[in-house]
Amino acid sequence: MNIRRTSVLLGKEFIHGPKSFMFVWAIVAPIGFTLIATLAFGTLFSEKPKLGIYDEGDSQLVASIQELDSITTKVYDNTSELMQSATNGAVDIGIVLPDNFDDAVIQGEAVTIEGYVWGESLAKNRTIIPVTISNLVRELAGQEVPIEIESVTLGEEAGVPWNERLLPFLVLMGVFFSGLMLPSTSLIDEKQKKTLEALVITPASIGDIFISKAVLGIVLSTFLGIAILVLNNAFGANSLMLVMVLFFGAIMAVELGLIAGALIKDITTLFTVWKSGGIFLFAPVLIYMFPQIPEWIAKIFPTYYALQPVVELSLQGGGWSDISTNFFILVGIDIALIGVIMLVLSKSRQFRS
Amino acid sequence: MNLGVIRALVAKDFALFFRNRFYAYISAIGVVFYLIIYFVMPSSVDEELDIGLYAPVLPPAFELIQEEEGFNIVPFDSDEALKEAVTDGTYYAGITLPADIMEKFASGEKPLVTLYFSTNALDELKGAVETMVRELAYLQTGQTLAIDISSEVLGPDMLGEQIPIRDRMRILLVIMLVMFEMMGLASLISEEVEQGTIRALLITPMSARELFTAKLVMGASLAFIQGILFMAIVGGLNHQPLITIIALLLGSALFTGTGFLIASLARDMLSSMGWGITALLIYAIPSFGIMFPGIITDWAKAIPSYYLADAMHQASNFNAGWGDNWANILILLGFNIVIIWGGIMALRRRFQ
Repeated sequence: MNIRRTSVLLGKEFIHGPKSFMFVWAIVAPIGFTLIATLAFGTLFSEKPKLGIYDEGDSQLVASIQELDSITTKVYDNTSELMQSATNGAVDIGIVLPDNFDDAVIQGEAVTIEGYVWGESLAKNRTIIPVTISNLVRELAGQEVPIEIESVTLGEEAGVPWNERLLPFLVLMGVFFSGLMLPSTSLIDEKQKKTLEALVITPASIGDIFISKAVLGIVLSTFLGIAILVLNNAFGANSLMLVMVLFFGAIMAVELGLIAGALIKDITTLFTVWKSGGIFLFAPVLIYMFPQIPEWIAKIFPTYYALQPVVELSLQGGGWSDISTNFFILVGIDIALIGVIMLVLSKSRQFRS
Repeated sequence: MNLGVIRALVAKDFALFFRNRFYAYISAIGVVFYLIIYFVMPSSVDEELDIGLYAPVLPPAFELIQEEEGFNIVPFDSDEALKEAVTDGTYYAGITLPADIMEKFASGEKPLVTLYFSTNALDELKGAVETMVRELAYLQTGQTLAIDISSEVLGPDMLGEQIPIRDRMRILLVIMLVMFEMMGLASLISEEVEQGTIRALLITPMSARELFTAKLVMGASLAFIQGILFMAIVGGLNHQPLITIIALLLGSALFTGTGFLIASLARDMLSSMGWGITALLIYAIPSFGIMFPGIITDWAKAIPSYYLADAMHQASNFNAGWGDNWANILILLGFNIVIIWGGIMALRRRFQ
C-alpha cells in the first residue's frame, strides 16, 4: 500500500463521492427514517391529550398547564389560529382564557371558558383535559386538596418505550446502509464504467483503491451512527467508547460493502442482494424490538456484536466491562473480513494488475 | 391513432418492466408488504381508559366517575384482586379507596387513596388518573368551582366512531404503492432514451402521440391495478367506491406524468431513483398530514397529491360523497393535464 497514492484516491472519493445519488441517499435515508420514526412513535402512538390555549390576558394558568407532563400544550396568538388547530386536529381541545381570568377565579366570580373540540378527539381526551383544567384552576383559587394520593407501580419488568426499542434498528441502518452501500455502489459503478480497469493499470494498486473507498465509507458511516444517537438523545454517557464501537461497526459494514462490490456486477443485483440479505444484517434488532425473543438467537448474527455494545452504552448505562467481550468479538470479525476481502481479490481476475 | 400499435407497445413495455429484477421484485412484494403493514396496525381505537376500582365504600361523588365518558371503571372485590390485575397488565391503572373514606372526609382529615399502575402505564395515564381522583375528592368535599367550559365540536363529531390508525395509514400506503411505479416507468423510459430505442421506434410508422399514449396506459394501469387491488383488500372501497376508483385512476395518471418528467432528467436507474425518491417524498407529504393530523398546514394544498389523498380519505374514511369531493377531483384532473403535458413536452425535447 502506498500512502500518497491512497491519499490522492481518497481525495478524489471525497470530492466526487458527494455528487453521487447514493452518497446523498446514504445520508438522507437513515436520518430521514430517524425523523419519521421519531414523529411516528412520538405522535402516532402517543396518548397525550393536546390542549391549545389562547390567553386574552396574562393568566398564570398557562404556565401551570405547560409544566404538566401529562398534557401537550400549545399557546396561540388569536382565536382563529386556535380554532384552525382544533379543526385540523393539531389540538384535541382549544380554550380561550378571558382577560382577568385569574382575578375572577380568586374572587370566586363565575367565568366561562370558550372551548373548541376537534371532532376526531378521543372520549378520554375530552374528559382528561377539562378535569385537568379544573384541577389547576382550583389550585389557582387556593382550594386545598382534600385527599392524599399514594402511587404504586406494580410488576417486575419496566416497559421499554417503542422509540427506545427502535433505536438499535436506526443505528444499524445508519451505520450499515452508508457503510455497506457506499463502497459497493462506488466499486460497481467503476466496474461498469470501466474506470476501475483504467485505475488498475496506473501505479495505484487495487489495495490502494479499496482502502480509499473504505476510508470514505468508514468516516461517513461512523458520522451517521453518531448523528442518529444524537438525534435520539442517546449520545450522552461514554461517548468516547460509543465512537470506538461505532467505528469498528463501520469497519464491518464497509468490509461487507467491499466484498459485495467486488463480487456483484451491477447495481440491480446489489439492490436485490441488499433486500434479501438485509434480514441477515438486521436480525439482531428484533431482540430489542421484541424482548421475548431469546438473546442467543441474535448472537448468531455478526451485527449483534456491533449493536449490543452501542445499546449497552447508550440505553442501558453500561460500561467497558459490559461490552468488552462483544467488542473483542467485533474486532475479531473485522480482522476475519479483511482476510475474506483479500481472498476475493486474489480469486477475482478482474482485480489483478 | 392506431390501437394495435399502442397495444403492442404496452405489451413490450410490460415485458421490459418485469425484466428489470429490481422493479419486478419490488412490484411483486410491494402489495404483500403494504398489506402486512396494514394488517399489523391496530384495527380499532381505544377511546376509553380501563381502570380497576376497589371501593369498600363508594362516596357519592366517586359514583360520577362511572358515568364519565372516556373512563371505563371496572369494580373489584378486593384490593389483592385489583393488585393482581394491574401486576399482570390486565389493567394499566387501579384505584383503591380506604374503607374509612367517608369518616375521614366528615372529620376534615385527608383520606389516603392508593393508585396502582402497571410498569407499562404511560406518564399521561398516571397524570390523568391522579387528576381525576383529586377532582372527585374536591367535589365530594363540596368545594365548588365557578368556571364553566363551553364546548363547540369542530368538524364531524366522531365520538364512538373513531378512524383506526391503519385506516388513516392506508392512504399513505396506497399512494406509496402507486408512486413506486412512477420510478420504474421513469427508469424504463430513461434507459430507452439512453439506448436510443425510442428514436428507433419513432422511425417506424408509429407516431409520437401513440408512443406517449402507450407509455401513459402502461404506467397508469400498472400503478392503478396495484392500488385498486390494495384498496379492495383493506376495505378502502367499502364507502363511495366510485370516488376512490376515479381518484386513484387520476392519481396513477398523475404519477405517470411525473414519471415522464423524471425520465426527461434522469440518465440511468440510479438517477431515476434519485429524482423519483425526491418526488415521492414530496407527494407523500399530504398523506402524512392524514396520518398525523395537524402537522401540515394549508401550504400542502400546493402539492398535487393533496387532492388525491384528501379525496380518498374523505370517501373511504368519512363516506363523503360527490358533494364534498367534486372540487378535489376537478383540481386533481387539472394537475393531471398540466403535469402529463409538461412531462411529454420535456421528454420530447430530450429525444428529438
